Amino acid sequence: MPRLFYAFVIAVGFSALMVLNGWSLSSSAGTGPGTIRITNREISRARVDAGRPGRGPGDLEIIRQNLFNKRIKSRPIGHADLVCTFVTRGTRSCTATYFLPKGRLVAGGSIRFPELYELAVLGGTRLYDNARGTLTVIRTTRRPRRDILVFRLTG
Amino acid sequence: MKSLSLSARMIIASAVLAVLVAGVFAILIQAMSSLDDATRREEHAKDVTAATLRLQKLVIDLETGVSGFILTRNEAVLKPWKDARAALPGQLANFQDLASTNPEQTQPARELAVTINEYVQEYSVPVVNIARTNPAAARDSVAREEGQYRTGEIRDRFTRFLAAENALASASAASASRQADRATALAITGLLGSALLIVLFGLYLARSTARPVRSVANAASRLAEGDLSVRLDKGGPGEVGELTTSFNRMAEELERRGAELEARNAKLRESERLKSELVSIVSHELRTPLASVLGFTSLLLTRDISSEDQRRYLGIIDSQGRRLSSLLNDFLDVEMLEEGQLELARELIDMGKLVDEQVQLFKGQSAKHELDVALPPKALPVRGDPRRLAQVVANLLSNAIKYSPEGGTVKVVGERDNSLVRVSVQDQGLGIPAEFHDRVFGKFFRGDAGPSGIEGSGLGLTIARSVVEAHGGRIDFESTSGEGSTFWLELPIAANDR
Repeated sequence: MPRLFYAFVIAVGFSALMVLNGWSLSSSAGTGPGTIRITNREISRARVDAGRPGRGPGDLEIIRQNLFNKRIKSRPIGHADLVCTFVTRGTRSCTATYFLPKGRLVAGGSIRFPELYELAVLGGTRLYDNARGTLTVIRTTRRPRRDILVFRLTG
Repeated sequence: MKSLSLSARMIIASAVLAVLVAGVFAILIQAMSSLDDATRREEHAKDVTAATLRLQKLVIDLETGVSGFILTRNEAVLKPWKDARAALPGQLANFQDLASTNPEQTQPARELAVTINEYVQEYSVPVVNIARTNPAAARDSVAREEGQYRTGEIRDRFTRFLAAENALASASAASASRQADRATALAITGLLGSALLIVLFGLYLARSTARPVRSVANAASRLAEGDLSVRLDKGGPGEVGELTTSFNRMAEELERRGAELEARNAKLRESERLKSELVSIVSHELRTPLASVLGFTSLLLTRDISSEDQRRYLGIIDSQGRRLSSLLNDFLDVEMLEEGQLELARELIDMGKLVDEQVQLFKGQSAKHELDVALPPKALPVRGDPRRLAQVVANLLSNAIKYSPEGGTVKVVGERDNSLVRVSVQDQGLGIPAEFHDRVFGKFFRGDAGPSGIEGSGLGLTIARSVVEAHGGRIDFESTSGEGSTFWLELPIAANDR
């Protein structure tokens, strides 16, 4: 009986460790410098056309993505909301909020090519409070739209 | 501590030598093994370095392929990139496999492989795809900077990995070199130690075997030359100790037997001397009375002699004949005593009466001497041979008279106590010089009596002592030269009259 109990305790402890490790998204930067690697899949996109028809300054694009860490599990670990305002026909200024298991990360900046862009990490909540760094996004598939997101946090 | 035998010591010394030589060989083998290990580690380090450089080349091919394709959009430019992608899994596996033999490099190698895979999966492949659909996006500075960042990270990891590998190889080589140097030094020390030990072993053998054997040989030679006092120092290991002990025992036995032989020879010589002396004394002692007998007999036969002279001459012949008879009896007594054939009667005797009778016999023999007898009223009973004891007392009285040529009183005292009867005869005569005291009871010893013209055979006291001792008593004397002597004898008192 005690042996079974100890085995159970060890199994639970190990599982908890694995879950916590998964939720940290392969990051060793929970409380400091580190890198977070996740992927996304766009699940909705809305566009608000302002001014003249077609893409132009003032248009809005609102995007929702599911976030994944496929190394840990196939189900989404969170989601992201991006709100972009076009400043020219091709360039937009975006603010993105990433809802991660241990907090939120907020990134913002100018995007010229949605296939490959960088945003500044502006801050965060909870584990990512006062986070700074760079988010690099590279598209891997067009349909459905999937990206690789690499958060390189400096503090 | 018990001394080890020579065989055991030699076996132990040989075993120590064998162990030392084996130790030296073990050190040499260990040194060779260390060198072999170092060589293998060096070869392995070369293999790891070669695999790392091959991997680095693949990464460069991937990087240049992407850059070239972004610039040219020419699929042909992508061939090295495709080849590199195809070769990458095998190269990474080989690289990690080689690196895994060194625990310190396993983790860096794994991290390097992960970084390269991430570069390929997260950057290189997507960027090529982007370049195909949106070349402008791929040419954007974001793509270039991301590429530079990632390849820079890979280069850093390569640099650190190679530096660590080189450091490990250098450390390994240095360690092997140190071990080889140490092993060589140990081997040289061991060989020198072995050589020294062999020399010491030889010296030990010479000391423990050759030297003792030489000592025994020398001692045996001295023994053969007649030096029976030669002995070897005791001790020595095992068999040598036994040899010296046996030799000493043999020498002691030889010396003992030599001494016995020497004693027997001395005895024989003494016996021979005594015989010669006996012959001399006998011939002298016999010749004098015999000459008197023959001379007076001749006178009686050849001349006309008055009857008064005839009687006087016959008296002399009778006296000398008795003297001859007495001498012969003494010789026979000594012979019997020496051969242990003296037979004694065991009669109850009153020594007082016996002494008195002898005194009475001697009283009329000398006008110059006065015999003073002091005897207790009680008897002096002893158990013995009356004839022999009378002979002893007569001898003492005779000596007292003979050795008091100026005359004087001879005092004879008989006394007793609970266990002894004592008879002493004291004279006022010549006395015995101190240098003769030890020999007074010896056969044929007469001191200065011969030259002084005192008659006698020198056997009387010898016989007296033998007779007294045969009765369980003892006889001795006190004497001062020129003042006289006192001879006394003590006999056990007879048991039934105590």
